[in-house]
Amino acid sequence: MLILGIESATAQVGCAIGGHEGVLASAHSAKGRRHVENLAPQIDFVRRQARIELEEVSVVAVDLGPGLFTGLRVGISTAMSLAHAVGVPMIGVSSLDLLAFPVRFSPRLIAATIDARRGEVFYALYRHVPGGVQRVSEPRVGTPEELASELQARGEECLMVGDGALRYAEIFGELKGTEIADQGLAHPTAGSLVQLAHAQAMREEWVQPWELKPMYLRKPDAEINWIKRETPS
Amino acid sequence: MANFENILGIETSCDETAAAIVVAGKTIRSSVVSSQIDIHARYGGVVPEIASRAHVELLTPVVAQAVVEAGIENEEVDAVAATYGPGLIGSLLVGVSAAKALSLVWDVPYVAVNHLEGHLYASFLEEPELELPLVVLLVSGGHTQLIHMKGHGDYDVLGSTLDDAAGEAFDKVARYLGLGYPGGPAIDALAMEGDPEAISFPRAMRNDGLDFSFSGLKTSVVNHVRKNPDVDAADVAASFQEAVADVLVAKARRAVKQVGATGLAIGGGVAANSRLREAVLDACTEDGLQAFLPSRAMCTDNAAMIAAAGWHRLHSDGPSRIDQGAESSVRL
Ligand SMILES: [Zn+2]
Repeated sequence: MLILGIESATAQVGCAIGGHEGVLASAHSAKGRRHVENLAPQIDFVRRQARIELEEVSVVAVDLGPGLFTGLRVGISTAMSLAHAVGVPMIGVSSLDLLAFPVRFSPRLIAATIDARRGEVFYALYRHVPGGVQRVSEPRVGTPEELASELQARGEECLMVGDGALRYAEIFGELKGTEIADQGLAHPTAGSLVQLAHAQAMREEWVQPWELKPMYLRKPDAEINWIKRETPS
Repeated sequence: MANFENILGIETSCDETAAAIVVAGKTIRSSVVSSQIDIHARYGGVVPEIASRAHVELLTPVVAQAVVEAGIENEEVDAVAATYGPGLIGSLLVGVSAAKALSLVWDVPYVAVNHLEGHLYASFLEEPELELPLVVLLVSGGHTQLIHMKGHGDYDVLGSTLDDAAGEAFDKVARYLGLGYPGGPAIDALAMEGDPEAISFPRAMRNDGLDFSFSGLKTSVVNHVRKNPDVDAADVAASFQEAVADVLVAKARRAVKQVGATGLAIGGGVAANSRLREAVLDACTEDGLQAFLPSRAMCTDNAAMIAAAGWHRLHSDGPSRIDQGAESSVRL
């Protein structure tokens, strides 16, 4: 079972191919927000490195977000068309799950964070369980202060990962028992995506390309304004 | 195969999600357009983020439908063309990403197409024998241009709007008159019952050069209605439309004379306006010019025109690079 994974929720964009023997090849770039320019060449490069044809892929996995809308759109649109053209199902994984995955062996509470711009972060909390992590709070968008007080209320040792924690390191650094992981763990990777999706694919937990739903967590501004206008206060 | 017979075109630059199969840049085998007008109507205009999200949702089914309606198999697609600009960047990215993905899997060329060039080729889809050189008046919500089409892929922009696009003026006036969105068809319909000579709205720069200006026209419509609150809205619509058509046609005629072209074609959403079509036809008859007025479906955004322009690009320049991006503002 070969999985092609596409990841584009943050400043980084990348893809990987793998299966039961793990990741066979991957490529990432994080400079200059060149998602649409870089992704297609990366896919072509990775499939050559893995020595396969795209027709051999059995599932296309994609990072569903939350993350930066423009980047997500490139990854999700590319992944949907790939799956459609090859004629295979898709597996969508949350960017926050992907961030928590590489630190799954930590016994601490894990806070996965993504910089949502406009003074907010996307975040979810995880805990180690045998074989991986379990999400203990729903993905959410909020201010770093909100997340900080939630972590403070829990009063646990906490490991924070993602570019959201790094961006607001001053705020989170104040918290007792909290450590912020470095730049190396700041972005979700396509390798994690392939590994997580492979486990799901073995259980046939997939959807068809037209059933895939991106996770935006934030409504378009116009819609927010419209709802405000229509709702008498 | 070497002639790239079947081109899949993809268009997502604004609020239409479209895909089409066109043979050799001439024959439409399918053209699917899924309009988002209903989604944007309550906001009174296209909301970029909402448009981008809708494109993501709609594009895969629209592409699948275009291939099925063309009666071909995926393997018979010889190249994939997509609009890379100008347009809303988030929307463009969806189409460009999808097109590149399809070209990778099917192992066929990807062609990046300029949306404006697409509009120029819409006429050729309905009239393959159209002679060049030709002047094209391109009028829509996003652009107002007079283009001298000297040969395939060889254009001069003769004039452009200095402020609002013609379609933007229609939308703004319609919103002011409470006619809803989109404004073009609403004004066209209301104007049928009004007197185009009831109010003499200004014709900015009518006899001066080939550039356009429409922002002042909207202001004078607003001022007129303020001063005359009992004015008949149908008269306002008809007189406004008359002013727009008058300026567009006067400049188009002058452009044709200036470059010595033998014909005038129109394109873009505003080219579906009935008064403008009538005025273009009258002017061409009077001046002894070949007039070409594409059908409504070929005036508004569609992917068949992108596939057609893509076919010509592929033959003149070869495939586009797969690391080419999308651009919100590109010129012809
Ligand atoms: Zn257009």
